[in-house]
Amino acid sequence: MGKLLVYLHVAVKQRAFQSLLGAGLPGVTTTAVGRLADFERGLQDSPDAVLTLPVVLAAQGLAPTLRGLARGSNEERYALVGAGMAPEAGKVGSVGALDILGREGTNRFVKRLVGQQARIERVTKIEDLLPLLQMQRVEAVVLPSRLVSDLRAASRLSLSERELVVTVGLPAASSVGAGGAAVLGAIGRMPRDVSKLLGVEEWR
Amino acid sequence: MALTRRSFIAGVPALAGAGLLGCTAAVGERESATTGNVLYATRAAKAGSKSILVCMPDTRQTSEVWRGLSDELASEYELVALRAEGSNVSATIAGGIKRYQPSGLVLMNNPTVDGYRRLQAQAKSTAFPPSVIVMSSFLEGNQAKLRGATGISYEVPLITVVTNLRKLIATPIDRIGVVHRPSLAGFVRRQAALAGREQTAVVSEEVSQAPNSSEIKRALRRLKQRCDAIWVLNDDRLLTPRLLADGWLHGLNEPRWVPTIVGAASLVSPSQSFGTFAVLPDHTALGGQAASLLLDIADNGWQLPGSGAAQLPLSTTTTVDLSQAKERFALRPSALAQVDKVLER
Repeated sequence: MGKLLVYLHVAVKQRAFQSLLGAGLPGVTTTAVGRLADFERGLQDSPDAVLTLPVVLAAQGLAPTLRGLARGSNEERYALVGAGMAPEAGKVGSVGALDILGREGTNRFVKRLVGQQARIERVTKIEDLLPLLQMQRVEAVVLPSRLVSDLRAASRLSLSERELVVTVGLPAASSVGAGGAAVLGAIGRMPRDVSKLLGVEEWR
Repeated sequence: MALTRRSFIAGVPALAGAGLLGCTAAVGERESATTGNVLYATRAAKAGSKSILVCMPDTRQTSEVWRGLSDELASEYELVALRAEGSNVSATIAGGIKRYQPSGLVLMNNPTVDGYRRLQAQAKSTAFPPSVIVMSSFLEGNQAKLRGATGISYEVPLITVVTNLRKLIATPIDRIGVVHRPSLAGFVRRQAALAGREQTAVVSEEVSQAPNSSEIKRALRRLKQRCDAIWVLNDDRLLTPRLLADGWLHGLNEPRWVPTIVGAASLVSPSQSFGTFAVLPDHTALGGQAASLLLDIADNGWQLPGSGAAQLPLSTTTTVDLSQAKERFALRPSALAQVDKVLER
């Protein structure tokens, strides 16, 4: 049917994610990557469609063709999480974040969420945010609010969170090859549990 | 066909005498063989960019670190990776510094660091560029003997190990047992203090500096009565073929069962019940972390920022012996989604 390149960070390991996508998108050859460099290399491999965050699509000069929605919105809330007192955007000095756009792009993206004063520490997996707090490398980490419960479940630290005002676009897909329409159709029919892992309730 | 105990041991690089960081052939793009010791090189987008010299042996793991490094740095800096192996390590590094005039160095593994230490000792009045050390065991001691060096420890911190184990095992993991030699008592103490943040207690059994199999078995039996899991240190002196065959395997493969966490993938095998779970550094992410350190050094005018203290590795990969885990322990329903590699008979 076509080739799909997926660059998203989820609360399960890459192996499990790839397997869920494979089962949820029958007929589509899916490649899931977790690092920007791998995503950029994957783009050279002529996929028919890509599935990632809108901010990543924009950085590559791509526009969303199919958008994920949750509670009727194509945007979602992010939260700052710290050990002890709830951290405050605008005041927090150092923040751990997923590296979705490389050094400069991620710094810009995260500072838009938490304030220009913050020093940003980047990691490549969701699970690597917790060590930043455990080792006291940062005062807080920033992540989609829907993933805070996973962070809490993995730790006995006394974690506090504060939702941020600025919202971020939910995963979206863009057709980039001849088989793109068919791949986007398959994404639209993706099983509910797989979409939910991406924070999405429906595709439009 | 099931492996015998001896063939299992022979298959474990550390125990077969190749060291815990045993190597396989390198992968990835590489420069022409005509460039001598150059394993890899990248060209920055901008002409006249500063260069970074990477000294490394040629292994799969080091090539993964290189990948993480070059993905982060190649657009801004000229990167050159030189093969540093055998008895010429010091000369290779010295030649590389002379030829490429690097603003920063990356040194991978213990022999490379030893070679660089010899080079610094021979040239006491020479100024060396700042260096970042990776894949060097028990780094804290080594780093202190070098000028202008920082780095990332190779040992995965216990706090990370326990966090990963708790995602897998359904029963409470509150107390971790560890067997160690006196020389690693300080390391264990520091790990215990960090793990305490996640409400983890460490129970240690100190054996002699050159222990025999009986000491290992006795220590394990004591720990297994008092602990929820055993953490095996990557200490070559504790993981000799003889100690593994006659000490560890005996001590671990008798009730009471407790999960065994190891720091080498080769110590997890469904054919032989030794490690239940391996937690290892993610080498590509380690390269990315080293790159971030170099970028901080660059931002600081090519001087080590702050104390220059070694960092702990942030990212790990995990391997589970599912046959052993299912047979002996209660697994969480979501356990397998939280493991990178699942091994089963």
